[in-house]
Amino acid sequence: MNLTRTIVAVLILALLVALPFGLGQYGYYLMAIVMIYAMVALSLNVLIGMGGQISIGHAGFWALGAYGSALIVTKLGFPFFLGVLAGGLIAAAFGALVALPALRVQGHYLAIATLGFALFVQQVLFEWESLTGGRQGLFVPRPSLFGFELRDDFAYYYLLLAIFLLLAWITGNFARSHSGRSLMALKMSSVAAECCGIARPKHIIIAFTISAFFTGVSGALYGHLLGHLSTETFSLAISLSFLTMAVIGGLHSRAGALLGGAYLALAPELMREFKDVQMVIYGVTLILCVQFLPRGLISVVERVWTIGTTPHATR
Amino acid sequence: MITQLLASGLALGSVYALLALSLVLIHKATDVVNFAQGEMAMFGTYACFALLTKTEFPLPVVMLAAVPLGILLGVATERITMGPLRSAPPVNALIATIGLWMIFHHTAGWIWGYDPVRFPSLFSPEPINILGARVAQNSLGIIAVSLLVMVLLYLFFEFTRMGIAMRAASQNRRAAQLMGVNVTRISLIAWGLATAVSVVCGLLIAPLTFLDFEMMLSVLLKAFAGAILGGFNSLPGAVVGCLVIGVVENLIAAYVSTAFKDTFAFGIIIVVLMFRPQGLFTREIVKKV
Repeated sequence: MNLTRTIVAVLILALLVALPFGLGQYGYYLMAIVMIYAMVALSLNVLIGMGGQISIGHAGFWALGAYGSALIVTKLGFPFFLGVLAGGLIAAAFGALVALPALRVQGHYLAIATLGFALFVQQVLFEWESLTGGRQGLFVPRPSLFGFELRDDFAYYYLLLAIFLLLAWITGNFARSHSGRSLMALKMSSVAAECCGIARPKHIIIAFTISAFFTGVSGALYGHLLGHLSTETFSLAISLSFLTMAVIGGLHSRAGALLGGAYLALAPELMREFKDVQMVIYGVTLILCVQFLPRGLISVVERVWTIGTTPHATR
Repeated sequence: MITQLLASGLALGSVYALLALSLVLIHKATDVVNFAQGEMAMFGTYACFALLTKTEFPLPVVMLAAVPLGILLGVATERITMGPLRSAPPVNALIATIGLWMIFHHTAGWIWGYDPVRFPSLFSPEPINILGARVAQNSLGIIAVSLLVMVLLYLFFEFTRMGIAMRAASQNRRAAQLMGVNVTRISLIAWGLATAVSVVCGLLIAPLTFLDFEMMLSVLLKAFAGAILGGFNSLPGAVVGCLVIGVVENLIAAYVSTAFKDTFAFGIIIVVLMFRPQGLFTREIVKKV
C-alpha cells in the first residue's frame, strides 16, 4: 500500500510539473492562483480538519501577509523571500492574539472573533493611508530570487508549487506531531482527551497560528503575483470563498486542498455567464457538500480509487 | 444633547438586541450559531418591501405580515439545510449557515439590485419634547416595537407549553426528550421564531440605514458583541449587552470618531472574552461528563 501511495504522489507531482506547459500567459497566471489558493485551503485543513474550529476571517490574515510582505520589501528593502516569511509571521502573530482569548471558552467564539477581526483589519488598512495607500492601494514589486526577477508567471508557478509542497510537508508532519495527535484525540472526545491531560486551548491555538501563518505566506505571494494591492480584495466574500473551497476540496486531505484551490481559481472561469449568481452557487454547493459529501470532492476520487484497486471495497 | 444621544443609542441597541435574541434563541435550542441570521433578516425585509411596493398595502399591515413571513422563511430554511445535519459534527452545521449567508446575501442582490433603496418609516422623524430634551419619534417608536417583541417572547417562554418545552430542551436536551418533548420540532420552532424576530429587526433598521443587501453585516457583528457581552446563553443578558453596545457606539461616534464606529465591536468581543468570557450576566456553565 505504501508503494502505491508513493506512485500516486509521484504521478500527482509529475502532473503538477507538466500542467502549465502550453497554457499561455493567462493560463500560467491561473495556475499560480490555484497554488496560492491551495495554500489557504491547506491552512484551513489544519484549522477545520484537524482543529475542528472554523474561521470566517481568513481574508484578514491573507491581507496581513500581503501588506506585511509588500511593505517590508518596498519600505525596508528586504529581499522577496524574507518579505514573504515576515508576512507569514505577522499573520501568525495576529492569529495567536485573536485565538488566545477566543479559545478559553468552548463554543463558536473563535469564528465570531475572526469575523470581527477580518472586518477590523480591512478597515485599518483602508484608513491608514500613509502606510498602505488606503484607497489608492499599494504597488508591490515582482518576486525575485537571488537577484533575478521572476517576470514570468510560468517561472513563478514553479516557485509557488515548491512552497506549496513545503507547506504540505509541514502539514503532514504536524498531523503526526504531539499537537496533531492531541487534536485528533480532542476531536474524538474532547472531555476524554482533556481528562488525559491534553490542554485543548493550547493545541487549538497552535493549529490556528500555523493556519494563520500559511495564509499569511499565501497572501504575501499573492501580492507579489498581482503587483498591486487594494483593500477591496480582502473582503468578507473572499473569506467565505476560502471556506467554501476548503470544504469542497476536502478538509482531511492535502490533495483535497489542491482540488479546492483549483475549484476556487477555475470555477469563476467556467461560470462567467452567471456573474451575479456565482456566489449563490458557491453557497449552494457548500451546503450540498456538507450534507452529502462531508469529506469533500477528494473523497469521491478516493472512493473511485479503492473500487479500482481492491476487489472487495467495503465502502 | 446627551439625552438625545442616549435615546438614539438605546433605539440602535434595541435593534441589535432583536437580532441578538434571534441568535441566542437558535443557539440555545440547537447549539448552532446562525451566521446567516442577519442576511435572513435582510432577505425578509426585502420581501416585505416588495410586498409594500407591489400591493400597496399600508406599512403597518406589511409589518404585521413580516411575522408569518419570517416564520415561514425560518422553518423552510431549517427543514432544507439544518434538518439533514442534525447528527453531523457541529462544525458542519456552522459551515452550512455560512453557505446560507452567501445564498441569502447574493440572492437578494441578484433579485432586488445592488443599490440601496429608501425604506419608509412607520414613525415620523419629527422630534418631540421629553424631559426638556428633544428626542426623535423614530427612536421612541423603535424602542417601543422592540419592547413589545421582547415582552411577547417573555410571555411565550414563561406561559406557553411550547415555550416551557423549549426552555427545558435548552437546559438538557436528552432529559427533555425523555419527558416527551419533541426536540426536532423545537429546532423548527426556534428557527421560525428567531427569523420572525430578526425580520422585525430588519424592518426597524431599514429606514435608518436604507435598504441594502450589505446593511446587516455591521448589525450582525454588534449583535454578536452584545450577545457575548451579556453571555451567549441568556436572552435578557443579550438584550442588556446590546443596549450597552448601542449607547456606547453612539457616544463614540459623537465624541471620538466615526471611522471605527462599525468595527469597535470587535474590540469589545476580544476584551470581554479576555476578562469575562462567560459574559457579564451569566454564570459559567460547568459541563458534566
